[in-house]
Amino acid sequence: MAAVENAAAALAAPEYRNALVSLLYQFADDELVLGHRDSEWLGLGPHIEEDIAFASIAQDEVGHAALAFRFLEELGEGKVDDLAFLRPAADRRNAGLLEVPNGEGTYRVEPRFDWAFALARHLAYDLFDRVRLELLTRSSYQPLAQVAVKMQREEHYHLLHHRTWLRKLSHAGSEARERLEQGLARVWPEVDGLFTLGPTATAIAAQGILPATGAALRAAWAEQMATELGAVDLPWPGDPPPAPRDGRAGEHTPALGSLLDVMSEVYRTAPEARW
Amino acid sequence: MLDKPVFSIYEVFMQKDQMSPHVHVGSVDAGTPEDALLLARENFLRRDEAVSLWVVRQDAIHATPYSDPDWFAHPAEKAYRMTQSYARENNDRWRKYKKRMLTLDDVVKD
Amino acid sequence: MSMTYAEQTTEFMARIEAGEKIEASDWMPDEYRIALVRFIQMHALSEIMGAYPEKEWVPRAPTLARKLSLMSKVQDEMGHGQLILRIAEDLAAPLGKSREDLIEELFTGQCKFHNVFHMPAPTWADCGVIGWLVDGAAVVSQGALLDSSYAPYARVLKRVCAEEGFHIQHGESICLALAEGTPEQRQSLQDAINRWWEALLHFFGPKEVSNSANILLKYRFRVKTNEELRQKFFTKYITRVNALGLTVPDPNFHWDEATQLWIYADPDWSRLKAITRNEGPMSRERLRLRQLSYEQAAWVRQALTAPVAV
Repeated sequence: MAAVENAAAALAAPEYRNALVSLLYQFADDELVLGHRDSEWLGLGPHIEEDIAFASIAQDEVGHAALAFRFLEELGEGKVDDLAFLRPAADRRNAGLLEVPNGEGTYRVEPRFDWAFALARHLAYDLFDRVRLELLTRSSYQPLAQVAVKMQREEHYHLLHHRTWLRKLSHAGSEARERLEQGLARVWPEVDGLFTLGPTATAIAAQGILPATGAALRAAWAEQMATELGAVDLPWPGDPPPAPRDGRAGEHTPALGSLLDVMSEVYRTAPEARW
Repeated sequence: MLDKPVFSIYEVFMQKDQMSPHVHVGSVDAGTPEDALLLARENFLRRDEAVSLWVVRQDAIHATPYSDPDWFAHPAEKAYRMTQSYARENNDRWRKYKKRMLTLDDVVKD
Repeated sequence: MSMTYAEQTTEFMARIEAGEKIEASDWMPDEYRIALVRFIQMHALSEIMGAYPEKEWVPRAPTLARKLSLMSKVQDEMGHGQLILRIAEDLAAPLGKSREDLIEELFTGQCKFHNVFHMPAPTWADCGVIGWLVDGAAVVSQGALLDSSYAPYARVLKRVCAEEGFHIQHGESICLALAEGTPEQRQSLQDAINRWWEALLHFFGPKEVSNSANILLKYRFRVKTNEELRQKFFTKYITRVNALGLTVPDPNFHWDEATQLWIYADPDWSRLKAITRNEGPMSRERLRLRQLSYEQAAWVRQALTAPVAV
């Protein structure tokens, strides 16, 4: 697959550009929605030092989203903040797992957030992200291949974090272990939604932007997830069931709509203004 | 009713590069050394580059008592430990041989 | 040769008056330890409670850059809480108090938290004003403690103040954007300043030097009075507010050459008293967030401290 050096080259090839843009929205929306959910934990974390550590992971996600939106801006999609804040739910390409609320309540009123779910979700996502980033380092789009290498290194801390917690909670007695298994059980029904490349999957693979099929992503992820769970003697919850809807095709739950309403509340009042 | 969780205190030392020693930066409440290392990175290194972290249980640290300042008293005059005390005299003597005193740098550099 | 408590106390005061620094492992009179634990614990828990007003705006921050900057700032405030809480913990350990005990005193009301964090932050401009003026007030206050007689606290404050350097820039950046923005943005900034004015006056505490303040002054834990700090804040910030064409809601606020003091209308001190009873506008809601999340995660802290399986 011929390398595409930069945005100018991509813009000169509309078919390529469209496939690239499609993939970039998936990546950007995944990271933004998860980073936003993570940021709801600020000040609500289970232990002060961990509140601080987890906040860095949240910032990494939002930072990666910003990077992807900047690529999209270079490719003519519009202003970074317009892309992040103004696109309606039906235009979002994040996987459904990431929009699931942290728990009952909201971050401002009676938050009953589930730490085990937050960890299980992040473990599942970061393993998927590792698979995706590895493939993106071989992307035909050179700017993306280069940043993927950097992002891989940043993800190392994420996996170290989740593994440490997994080890801890699975061996700290029956309550912690049960809650961890319940957290995984809440992740499992949605996890399959990570592994699709959406309606433009064929083009994304054919153009070498993300050289893989959904099935290959799923298989690679499952192997890694099984290893992580096996290492701490947690039972494999079985093959993830088919995703209830395709986030990468713009199919979302009402939770995403509420999330976007909150996220865009201020920006919408004056998108042309300087904030 | 569960007993209250009891954390251990780990003092944290960071090393900014391999040519520098570890330096104390603070402490964390943690259950295990592994947790302490994980937490220490983001609690203390958000803005600093580092190549190594040490965590040491607070109760493993032995220290001199502040209350005993004499612990550190030593003769102020220890000129024999300082290079400056030799500089004048050695340089004067080498002058006879049309040379000067060698410094550390003179010997180390290529 | 063993000294009586009175003799040790006399010797301790001599050290203080000679400008010596006190460490965690030093002998100290009970009055010193208890007064310091109270002050430092309140500072630590205020930093942690202080995350909430700004955190309300993290999910709603109007650009990705502001979102990241605000996430980082709130994280730093939690970090300051952590640094200062560790100091309080080491000081409180000989009293048999653990971190859990110190935190739970927030819920019983035994430990208070700074008035500013009991106040609502209804608009994005409030978030800017917190970063600009509330943090500015905190820097004035903390800067004056850098020479505290209690060395562990002074050392940690150096680190805290360094990070506050970023925060006040962050706050200025948000406020400058609003001040130079649309008429609505500018108005929202002026409204926020009007809303926060009383809380800023309250922040430095009453003019009268209280008993506990006197104790802290005696021990050179702190060296400036509330009024001195409030005056310093005015000197640093009022001209900057005015430079942007903005005002403070005190028509008679002015500099008096004769006394070399800023003259200001007294705030309603009874409202500060209500806050110290946790009856401020947002006291219950904010405490609820901390207490609920704390209770929800008790199982996590149990897991963190469970004996390690071999």
